[in-house]
Amino acid sequence: MRRWLPALAGLLLLAACKGKTTYVETLPEIYPDYIGVTIPVDIAPMNFNLPEEYDKVYVKVTGSRGGELTARGGWADFPKKKWRRLTEQNAGGTLLFTVLGRRNGQWTQWRDFIMYVSEVPLSDYGITYRKIAPGYTTYSRIGLYQRDLHSFREEPIIESTLTPGQCVGCHTPNAARPSQFLFHLRGQHGATLIQQDGMREWVTTKTDSTIGNMAYCYWHPGGRWLAGSINPVRQSFWTGDERVIEVFDLASDIVIMDMKDHSLIVDPRLNTKEYFETSPVFTPDGLTLYFGRSEAHTVPAETELIRYDLMRASFNPETGRIGTIETVLPASGEGHSVTFPRPSYDGRWLMYNLADFSVFPIDHKEADLWLMDLETGETRPLEEVNSPFSESFHSWSSNSGWFLFCSRRDDGLYVQVYFSSIDPQGHCTKPFVLPQKNPRKYYHNTLYSFNVPDFTREKVQFDTRGVYREVFSDERVQASVKP
Amino acid sequence: MEKNYRIVLTLLLGAAVFLFWLLCYPQALSYQEQNQLFLFTWDYLGERLSLPGGLADYLSEFLVQFFYYSWGGALVMALLAILLQRSLWWAARSAGRAGERSAYILTFIPSLLMLVYMGDVEVLVSFPSALLLSIALCPLFTGAGWHLLWLIPLGWWLTGAVIAVPVLVTVLTHWRSIREWGFLLYTALVFQAGHRLLSPQYPPKEAWFGINYYRLVETLPALQVVIPLVCVFCILVCGYGLRVRRPVLAGLLTTLVLAAGTFAGVRTTYDRDTFETLAYDYLIRHERYTDVLKRAQKYQPRNQVSACSVNFCLFMNGQLLSRMDDFYQCGTAGLVLPSIRDNLSDITSARLLWMMGMPNITLQYYFDLQESIQNGRKSGRFLSGMADCNIANGWYGPAEKYLDLLAHSLFYRRWAMEKKALIRNDALVSADPVYGYIRQVRFRDDFITVYDGLDLMMGILYNQNKNNFMAAEYYTAWQRLKKKEVQP
Repeated sequence: MRRWLPALAGLLLLAACKGKTTYVETLPEIYPDYIGVTIPVDIAPMNFNLPEEYDKVYVKVTGSRGGELTARGGWADFPKKKWRRLTEQNAGGTLLFTVLGRRNGQWTQWRDFIMYVSEVPLSDYGITYRKIAPGYTTYSRIGLYQRDLHSFREEPIIESTLTPGQCVGCHTPNAARPSQFLFHLRGQHGATLIQQDGMREWVTTKTDSTIGNMAYCYWHPGGRWLAGSINPVRQSFWTGDERVIEVFDLASDIVIMDMKDHSLIVDPRLNTKEYFETSPVFTPDGLTLYFGRSEAHTVPAETELIRYDLMRASFNPETGRIGTIETVLPASGEGHSVTFPRPSYDGRWLMYNLADFSVFPIDHKEADLWLMDLETGETRPLEEVNSPFSESFHSWSSNSGWFLFCSRRDDGLYVQVYFSSIDPQGHCTKPFVLPQKNPRKYYHNTLYSFNVPDFTREKVQFDTRGVYREVFSDERVQASVKP
Repeated sequence: MEKNYRIVLTLLLGAAVFLFWLLCYPQALSYQEQNQLFLFTWDYLGERLSLPGGLADYLSEFLVQFFYYSWGGALVMALLAILLQRSLWWAARSAGRAGERSAYILTFIPSLLMLVYMGDVEVLVSFPSALLLSIALCPLFTGAGWHLLWLIPLGWWLTGAVIAVPVLVTVLTHWRSIREWGFLLYTALVFQAGHRLLSPQYPPKEAWFGINYYRLVETLPALQVVIPLVCVFCILVCGYGLRVRRPVLAGLLTTLVLAAGTFAGVRTTYDRDTFETLAYDYLIRHERYTDVLKRAQKYQPRNQVSACSVNFCLFMNGQLLSRMDDFYQCGTAGLVLPSIRDNLSDITSARLLWMMGMPNITLQYYFDLQESIQNGRKSGRFLSGMADCNIANGWYGPAEKYLDLLAHSLFYRRWAMEKKALIRNDALVSADPVYGYIRQVRFRDDFITVYDGLDLMMGILYNQNKNNFMAAEYYTAWQRLKKKEVQP
């Protein structure tokens, strides 16, 4: 009987509302826009808000394959267990949302909308990301976090409060596996932290033969090699009211680190003064290295001339040596710049950013996501997910059925994480923003952007005990250059 | 008679502290206020309470918002001084048989030491607040017995590391009891375990010496440890029932020694350059430009921030080009500062660049100023500046976010609500005298800025709009200073 009480109460409320409810043929203005999105089974409840003038909301969700649940209150806040059951029951089906809102004592009912529940599972535990105030050169609070995608639980991996004065860089796992990851620490006691199977080591990746520390890194699927670009990054500012910041590299090279002895392979073809090389990534078979390459220009004066082509090089996983290099997408010739190529883990797709110029798409409103079919070489803009604002960093789920990406579409500045699924033909579904318990309150109040998000198959185990001592002890493993 | 004597002394302390902050150092109060933003929201309370010492921190920030007005800040500081002294006296009485007037004067020591300590503007009001709360708990602790098992963790959570004060008082009051000594060990365990549970993202040192007692997280000033120990000492000595042969003379002498010591302490711990630099900022914030020039004529710190402030005040008085040589100059950086990673230096530069018509660089400066607050707090003053820049640029999304946050504060609320009425209405924004002016004089072309080319940018602004005489004057002053840099 107790189980039926909420449903009964909901029906009574619905009945009570009916008498004086105005029905309108338009869709409700819900925040976030979850209308028509595709979600995975057991995603955290897709709570949403009505516009602020509505003080009460009543929502009934009906599954096409059975089951229903209701939510009422200040916003649509679905009970977690019931939500999970409903999505499980409706995998491959749809959820129909009936929404009523109360404003000035008057109830309005909008046209129902649906949400699709994908059959493709999102089996990963969650995502990792850095949270950072979107701005300029200084950050008082910065941290790496992990978020359970099946609930609203967010936990810090490390926050800058633990390492005062040091900037925490982005979390880089090996193919979403938390057993092998790294992040950089910048500042007086800077180093790259590499954790493998629970063992931590702090590595200085700058050598006498390289121009700086490794920045954008990517693990070889075998775990032995680490490709990284070395970019002394600077930023300048625009004077107009369209753009804010321009981030550029003073120089940019690519090196490969052998994790066995922390030695760097410095290939002269990827360490030139004539070109900027950046964002190296390995394909899942470990035999190819994709990266971006641009002609070098004087910065910031010629920033608008910096355009990256998509390049490819064969890679020998036995020796770590680079073979032949070829241009895959000569984007610079067409007035575009390709950055952050990311192959799906099944080897089928390559997603990348395309902007008018620059190495840093996040500050480019025109930056979009593009997709290349690695079987045919065909490439196309992902119009299903792109927006008039910048789409930037992106990652694949471990089963390659889902991907996430950063976008500034909400307010033009603060970056949020969006999710979309992809079918075998390469069609993507309408993306949805990372669910929050009270989405408007969360996203409107936060002064932080989500930065370099990635999936994680399991929860990241990172014991902060000892980190403080290790950071300030300056005991470092010094990388060397492989002869 | 005895009681009146005590009340008079306490009131004298309050009056002295009030007058000191109101007349001698109001700029420090303003600095405290602009480095935090207290919000009347449950989330804000929850965020504070998630850390040890959270209640004290929350109360402190609630109080510091009143520093928006100097008299409000001075009143709060005076009340804190009085309450600290009186709570010490009550604690002493509960610890044992309180002595007479000669002992009473000892209870003033922590308040006076606090006055000396707070000459360092990075000391947060959380520290005296936490200390006050912990001393207020002394009477409860000394008679709590086994209840200390839950009182210690609770007290640690609410006040932070200074909960060691009532624990130490309890242990030393009942020093013959092994149980009480056991509580000392228990407190250490609470600190360690609590740190793992509540604040694992802070260095262990912070758990032992307090989170958010001091703005600079890497630093532990000696007085942060000394003052709580002095409190313990004073409580025990007063509680011991100290008696002297000539109490009046002893009281008088002690009063004189404390007054002289406080005076000397204040003189030695208050850095004059910081004092003046903060004063310039405070006066500029209140548009008292002539007062800045008057102060600078008597003494001007030889640093870029003071030069920039004085030059700005000269400009506001229409005297930049005619009188700039009368004051300390240090090249073009003393006219407009480059981006500096601290929470004070660039404030005047941000303001003058805004007035000149460079909202984007202003936005960068305000953002960096706010993010340079080392304990991660936001700032009502800087956030307002950021909102201004976003409104002028027509970036209404971020502007609305900032205004909605400010609307949850006490003293920025009205301003925020007024500005929010303009959001997403370009016509209203353009009709606003300030935003409209900025939109008129700002750059018409979009190009990348570099600090070294700031004079050229001023030139462009003036050529675009001949009414922008600020750009013209600053351009001329820049060239004059540049010449001096080349030919010293």
